[in-house]
Amino acid sequence: MTDNTTDKKKFTYYPGCSSQGSARHLDESLRAIAPELGIELDELEDWNCCGASVGHIGGGQLPNVALTGRNLAHAQRQGRQDVVTGCAACYLNTHGGNEKIKADVNLRRKVNDALAAGDLSYDEDLRVRHMCEVIVNEVGVDKVKERVTKPLTGLKVAGYVGCQTVRPFANTDAGGEYDTYDDPAFLDDFTEALGAEPVPFQHKTACCGGSVAVMSPDRTLHLVKNILEEAKQAGADVISTPCPLCQTNVEMYQEQINEKFGTDYNIPVVFYSQLMAVAFGLDAKKDAALHRNTIAPEKLEELATGRGEAKPRGAEPASPAAIGRD
Amino acid sequence: MTVAPPDTSTKYDLDFAKWVYENIEGGDKLALCMQCGVCSGSCPIGVQMDYGPRKLFMMIRAGMKEEVMTSSTQWNCTSCYRCVVRCPRSVPVTYILQDLAAKSAELGYAQKTNENVNFARSFWWSAKTFGRTDERLVTALYYFSFGLKEGYQRGLANLKIALNFVKRGRMHIGLPHRIKGRRQLKAILAKAEEIAKREGLH
Repeated sequence: MTDNTTDKKKFTYYPGCSSQGSARHLDESLRAIAPELGIELDELEDWNCCGASVGHIGGGQLPNVALTGRNLAHAQRQGRQDVVTGCAACYLNTHGGNEKIKADVNLRRKVNDALAAGDLSYDEDLRVRHMCEVIVNEVGVDKVKERVTKPLTGLKVAGYVGCQTVRPFANTDAGGEYDTYDDPAFLDDFTEALGAEPVPFQHKTACCGGSVAVMSPDRTLHLVKNILEEAKQAGADVISTPCPLCQTNVEMYQEQINEKFGTDYNIPVVFYSQLMAVAFGLDAKKDAALHRNTIAPEKLEELATGRGEAKPRGAEPASPAAIGRD
Repeated sequence: MTVAPPDTSTKYDLDFAKWVYENIEGGDKLALCMQCGVCSGSCPIGVQMDYGPRKLFMMIRAGMKEEVMTSSTQWNCTSCYRCVVRCPRSVPVTYILQDLAAKSAELGYAQKTNENVNFARSFWWSAKTFGRTDERLVTALYYFSFGLKEGYQRGLANLKIALNFVKRGRMHIGLPHRIKGRRQLKAILAKAEEIAKREGLH
């Protein structure tokens, strides 16, 4: 067993705006599982918004890339280690922007001219990575499995990857070639490693509507409905996702979907990192942040509160503060 | 066999394709499009667009500037990038649509009630002012961009979601989260706007 204090790889961590709002449970659970996986997260100093999927319309293309430029300039001051984010949109913009800056000398000059107005510069070629890619390529699914003290036995999980976690970079050289675009395996691999059961799920990379779902649910509710319908048919106890906006859209619109389509969905939607936190025997509230889900993942809560038998790990108690532990 | 008379109501701008090739991000790859339709077939809400990407690209080549710039196509792109990874000719479809959206807003083709533009402007206000997206303020500003009455209606329709989020600590009460370097960010963004006006993106 790897000791937590040695063999750690340090990353500059970019949490993104949703980490302080709708996706706090992603951020909290990622910070909790990172040390378990030998990852040290050094938060990016004074990070700003990435521009998400509408920044280029609201502010223009170059100012939008300048947002990424400022973040990377700050990251460079923190060291040459890779930047990592758990958010799909932050990854898309920051990784994508970074690769554009690297490939286009004119763009690099313009971004740096803009940064100079704030006494910053970006001249290192940093690498910007997605947490899922880091877990696949750097940690390895076997290591994830090793850390499990509370296997999620009997939990049926629909693995919903969504779009931007894999598209358009997962199968590129710069993106670490960690999976495919239409039928990625990593999320089901995570589920399996945690002792849970991945159910077959064709909608794994279907779109939830993204920001269009936020601005205009009527245009996209049917997309979320299709995702929920398959998860329900497959008998999933929870839907697991890596993406903040997917988690929010698929969870928060269930009532409106039920009203519109006469359905009765009530399926919990959790982050893969919440599943990991539970399976690693960490605290259900502080670490797995299960209390932040608006549809309570009851079966997962039962597993977390220790009905399953916990394997002791090292000398320390697996989770002294776990709620309802007997 | 009778042949339909040519439609003389459509105006063609024969320089439009060239303008797109030169001014839209990824537009230079548009000439590679072979009209296979994989993009339109892969599109999550393509059926709700005025035209799918394939058709829109042919319209660009044909010089149908007005129809292209006012089309709903670029506003219904959800940025899923399925077309980008599937296109057999490596046309960066999503990027082209995104920049067509940005340029049609910039050049005044989008209507005042365009949801995407209003949302994007609310979003950018938050990013620029605070350096962060304040989900509460962006949403509220966006709802009320359609006027008081519609603002209330939209707010009311989603009130339960908001209250649920507050209860779960996913929507905070109090001042917006802000970065320390707000003046720095403002200076950077102002400079970027200035450079963009002068020289464009590339």
